[in-house]
Amino acid sequence: MLYVLSKITRKYGSRTVLDIPLMEIEQGKIYALLGPNGAGKTTLLNILGFLEAPATGDIFYHSTPVSFFESYLQNLRREVVMIDQHPILFTGTVYKNVEFGLKIRGIPKKKRGIIIEETLDLVGMSDFVQAQAHRLSGGETQRVALARALAVSPEVLLCDEPTSNLDVENQAAVINTLKQINEQRKITIMFTTHYMYQVSSLAHHTFFLDHGKLATT
Amino acid sequence: MELLTDSFISAILLIFSLDPEVLSIVWVSLKVSGISTFFASLMGVPLGFLIAYGSFKGKRILIICLNTMLALPTVVIGLFVYSFISRRSILGSLDLLYTQKAIVIGQIILILPIVATLTIAAISRIDERYRKTAMTLGANRRQTACVIFREARFGIVAAVIAAFGRVIAEVGISMMLGGNAKGFTRTMTTAMALEYDKGEFILAVALGIILLVLSFGINLIFNFFQGRTRA
Ligand SMILES: Nc1ncnc2c1ncn2[C@@H]1O[C@H](COP(=O)(O)OP(=O)(O)OP(=O)(O)O)[C@@H](O)[C@H]1O
Ligand SMILES: [Mg+2]
Repeated sequence: MLYVLSKITRKYGSRTVLDIPLMEIEQGKIYALLGPNGAGKTTLLNILGFLEAPATGDIFYHSTPVSFFESYLQNLRREVVMIDQHPILFTGTVYKNVEFGLKIRGIPKKKRGIIIEETLDLVGMSDFVQAQAHRLSGGETQRVALARALAVSPEVLLCDEPTSNLDVENQAAVINTLKQINEQRKITIMFTTHYMYQVSSLAHHTFFLDHGKLATT
Repeated sequence: MELLTDSFISAILLIFSLDPEVLSIVWVSLKVSGISTFFASLMGVPLGFLIAYGSFKGKRILIICLNTMLALPTVVIGLFVYSFISRRSILGSLDLLYTQKAIVIGQIILILPIVATLTIAAISRIDERYRKTAMTLGANRRQTACVIFREARFGIVAAVIAAFGRVIAEVGISMMLGGNAKGFTRTMTTAMALEYDKGEFILAVALGIILLVLSFGINLIFNFFQGRTRA
């Protein structure tokens, strides 16, 4: 098992927004997280992405219990990348954005260039390499954010509503990209969505989340 | 009214004659204010960063204290520093009183809160998602801080400029701690005060014009830079 979540809860104030007795995620699969607004989907992804600590419970990643210390989490975050529901790009060019994670990992400049070109090509944004990130449309922003995450070859990709800003054509393109990277690079993917039809075409497994509680099919 | 127009014309002539006394005064002002701003920024920007970025007990109180210090009159700071550096006090042996260093010390106290509070404001305006994005892409604390700093850079430059504008136009500290010694601690504002006392307006008006032009120039550069990079 890649992830095992045991008795996880998350609270905001006195309100429990997440309550998961057990959740298991297998390596190399695609998971859909389906649920209405406010169900706790983003909250769960934040926890899986090691960006937020649960209030109670244990997380096992590769069978190792996760301790929520900043320095420990930093290493885990290098393997798990989350794409925000409304992604934000750094000021600067598209190139600089995709380069960020690679630079941080100390990858040499020449190799960075090759990877950036490859990943932008993958999401169909090659023509925008030198464009200013803040001038892109919503859909373009979403695709660059996907490229920025893929560039670092994560083990796990967490996508919070990856198609919410996209038209039908681009939705299909992004779904294809996700499928492709899952098959070719064995990246484990979890994405959230409101749409049933996306689930059936993409996911191997579906989790339903409602009021912070889980139901599997 | 005639007095003003007459002195205005003479003042313009004085400026364009590149009078050595005027140049010396302007130079002292720029130098002292520049050094104060440099050191205040060196301390104030990281301080503001730490306060805005960190979550610790007493954060809110600290910010309120800094905001209160914004209202500190220059004469109070002058008096305060004086009590440390005057001949018979603790640091008297350092002979700091009536030197440029003394002015710099006072001015740093004056603008440190300005730099810090404006930096805090600039950083608080930055979207929380920048931090989250940097973190999820694998950035450590320092690298995340760099991202936020980069996104907030205009606000931080604005903080530094505001601080410089404050010190270059300040009189109380320069007068009390510098002593208005000609060619040494005489700044634009202290010279203006003195000339006014003497009832001579030409030099005062000339310096006033230079002060305004300088201020305008700095704001122009900042605006240009900001507009070009952002649009
Ligand atoms: N920072 C916060 N402070 C307080 N409450 C929060 C916070 N973040 C989320 N919540 C609450 O937690 C609950 C779950 O939020 P979450 O964002 O996980 O829902 P979601 O399933 O992603 O919804 P959506 O489909 O609208 O994105 C919501 O009721 C929300 O109001
Ligand atoms: Mg959400």
